[in-house]
Amino acid sequence: MIRKIASVSCFALGLLLFVVGASAHHGGAAYDGSQTITVTGAVTKFEFINPHVLIYIAVTDESGKVVEWSGELTTPIRLARMDSGGAEKWSKDILQPGDEITLSGNPARSGAPSLRLRKVIDSHGVALIGGTN
Amino acid sequence: MLQRETMLIGALVTALMLSSSLFAQTDEHGDDLSGVWTNFAIEASRPFQNSALRGDPPPMTAWAQERYAQAKPTFGSKSVAVVETNDPVYDCFRPGTPRIYLHPFPMEIIQTPGRVLMLFEYDHTVRQIYTDGREHRTDLAPMWMGDATGHWEGETLVVETVNFNDKTWIDREGVPHSDQLRVLERIQLDEDDNLLIDITIEDPVAFTESWTGQRRYRRVDWNIEEFACMDNVGFAEYEEEILNYDPNATQ
Repeated sequence: MIRKIASVSCFALGLLLFVVGASAHHGGAAYDGSQTITVTGAVTKFEFINPHVLIYIAVTDESGKVVEWSGELTTPIRLARMDSGGAEKWSKDILQPGDEITLSGNPARSGAPSLRLRKVIDSHGVALIGGTN
Repeated sequence: MLQRETMLIGALVTALMLSSSLFAQTDEHGDDLSGVWTNFAIEASRPFQNSALRGDPPPMTAWAQERYAQAKPTFGSKSVAVVETNDPVYDCFRPGTPRIYLHPFPMEIIQTPGRVLMLFEYDHTVRQIYTDGREHRTDLAPMWMGDATGHWEGETLVVETVNFNDKTWIDREGVPHSDQLRVLERIQLDEDDNLLIDITIEDPVAFTESWTGQRRYRRVDWNIEEFACMDNVGFAEYEEEILNYDPNATQ
């Protein structure tokens, strides 16, 4: 499995993004809504479970260290009901371990490698959520 | 043989008449509100549609303000992280009425003779609104969702809910209520076939005057799926790990 060098970048949240994060369920005090971080890596775990879908990827930083990042989305039911924007509808099988994907979202205030997800791009470059590329 | 067929036809006709009279009983009471409904926010409510009935706190008495000050909600101006909240819903208690409308999950309305059922996807919460003319129960202890009775005024279902305990919040921002809460709802379809719910809140212990809110829903062809509150416990552990993250510990 080839792990791409992670592209970790911060930029001011100036765009009006389609909000699909977890805030509808429990608020977002753990995350910094004023920042967005983007990370790329291979899926290590995909949990299509209530109350929030969790995606884990292995990200290699500039120093070569591999860190597991996690990202949370809304409920699986809500995702399954919406048009993913790609060829597939969201389901428990939409992501597989090893898929090279890109996650963008608000970072944890604590500095933990965790995101409240705003955008998920699959291994084919399709934005499964968060609009087009 | 002919006699038996005649009897069979007679029985079928009787059964049809009985069933049509049942349907007639539902039809004669206002609009058919049956269906699966999802929140369709009224423009002015968008900023707070998932957490409150109104944009500013309602007019609270000193009794309510004291409790509001102690509340640690996960939404609104004084929101905290889930691990710090004292919101009773995170202990999987029923959200209460009208707060159940603020949870972003669909609900299904089923109309049967003498009763309108609201099946909320959120933790499979059920409201039974009795429309058979009965009075409110006085023999039961105060309830999380309250005791609801309703009647039809033209095409509008008018619902009164009372006999609440004082353990739930009015909304997801920590506004309390007492066991004197009385929730009045006027539920009807608008000209675009959306469901409108006008809500009036009365509680002389908690509020200095009655106040109102409105919810709107649109029809969807979804099924009500499973959502179990206890799954939140596992997620709280996940969030706790994030909050307590120590960057030095993983170096």
